[in-house]
Amino acid sequence: MWDNRCKIAVSGVGYSKATRSADIPLAAHALEAVRGAVADSGLRMEDIDGLATYPELPATGHAEVDGISIVSVNCMMAMLKLPSLTWHIQVGTTNIGGAVQQATNALLAGVCKYAVVWRAMHNPRGTYQNLPGNMAAGASQFTGPYGFGGPGQGMAVAYTRWLEKNGQTRDKMATLAVTQRKHTQHNPHAYFYGTELTREDYFASRMVAYPFCLFDCDIPVQGAVAIVLTTADRARDLKPTPAYLAGYGQRLHFETAGRIGSLSSYMEGGSSSAKLTWERSGFTPKDVDVAQIYDGFSASVIYGLESYGFCKEGEALDFIQDGRIELDGELPLNTFGGSLGTGRIHGLWHIIEGALQASGRAGSRQVKDVNVSFVGASAPIVTGTTFIFVKEPY
Amino acid sequence: MSDWSKVTRPIPVPNEWTKPFWDAAKRESLELQRCQSCGFFQHPPFATCVQCVSVDLKFEPVRGKGTIYAYTIMYHTGDKRFASAVPYASIVVELDDAPGALMAGNLLGSQYTEAKVGRRVEVIFEKLNDDITLPQFRLAGE
Repeated sequence: MWDNRCKIAVSGVGYSKATRSADIPLAAHALEAVRGAVADSGLRMEDIDGLATYPELPATGHAEVDGISIVSVNCMMAMLKLPSLTWHIQVGTTNIGGAVQQATNALLAGVCKYAVVWRAMHNPRGTYQNLPGNMAAGASQFTGPYGFGGPGQGMAVAYTRWLEKNGQTRDKMATLAVTQRKHTQHNPHAYFYGTELTREDYFASRMVAYPFCLFDCDIPVQGAVAIVLTTADRARDLKPTPAYLAGYGQRLHFETAGRIGSLSSYMEGGSSSAKLTWERSGFTPKDVDVAQIYDGFSASVIYGLESYGFCKEGEALDFIQDGRIELDGELPLNTFGGSLGTGRIHGLWHIIEGALQASGRAGSRQVKDVNVSFVGASAPIVTGTTFIFVKEPY
Repeated sequence: MSDWSKVTRPIPVPNEWTKPFWDAAKRESLELQRCQSCGFFQHPPFATCVQCVSVDLKFEPVRGKGTIYAYTIMYHTGDKRFASAVPYASIVVELDDAPGALMAGNLLGSQYTEAKVGRRVEVIFEKLNDDITLPQFRLAGE
């Protein structure tokens, strides 16, 4: 087990409004989320001495303008002018989960005391994925000419492989979309709060990239979320009940650029991250009371459930049936609505919900008697990280 | 059948790793990067062998027969260049001679509904301009 098990905790969390279009600069969303997380902790901005983020804009063919389409650490430093700042970092390989892990490491090293991590996501005007120009250079020379336009198709190819190899059909995925939308109705910060989804809506929706229909894809939004991380002893003195970090992991496998569709690569990415997390925390999938698994595209949940060890390969679409992933089910899943419900803010919202469920702060969507709360914060192969938060720091 | 006649495909830009692949395609030959230490074929080209980390890599011809490893049917018309072909099948092919090396393509000459995992396909060549010829796939007779 990990020597630093339960020595770091998530304290406050914060959100900006998630809107469909970019009415105000993204920096304003990030600021709102960061201030919210600090206030939720009962801290003042002057107490914050660590900053971390992953600022990528996942849309292609759009300019990255700091403060407008991304919010870097430099941008946040310039806005906040924190008097106590002692540490900051921006990660590249593991999306926002990597920023949370780096903040954890910095707190353990004693180089900061209260770190804020945010993820801000821009929704550009026009087509989200748009290979600019008439040429396909770099990795896209082997995919762009064939009309592989973006991650949707990239994820879809592995999904057909999974479906047909396992003799399954996409109909069963309706359960995931409908159940998560039901959960969304308990999350007032979510984009689809107040908008229900039926099985009929799912089956009637337009196809985007088969097997993905519209409701298999998270909706691009403009918004930000943030968390405050601190050491366990400090977290106990703050306002919210802490969610203790029992263990984390990151994917240890990556695909060569331009190679798409390999199902085994998804599985290796997820299992390598989960293995570290189970070993460090001392838990197994059977111990988990509630799970958040990244769902930018619905099929990521399949790869997550299987590669993390919640069910066997080929069984995930059967596993999610019969009420198992409902709030009172055997494994309540994406209880905040997932990205399919909140809109595309990548994995920090999954981490927030994992922490809220562990600390008993999830309101009307709180799962009963949670101690072990699992998070798979990104698509297993792309940028996968995994976490376990617990209520009892034993 | 998908109408490709009005599609303007983005033109591949060869680089020092990939030039031999495109040079061969121009001759209507399929050549993939092969590790001279362990014999593994890989695609797309990479700096080292993905099996044994050797840097001794050369391009060698492979036969253009294989199976559909995975596919997707594109319905979304976000990329206007491909709008006239929608719905169309983008496929990932595993060649008989190069297991593990995954090649992207379109399924040409058949309805997009014919794209299924495990179907046999063979390479054909689509000339884009005087410099670039694109390997593509159609269903194979066997």
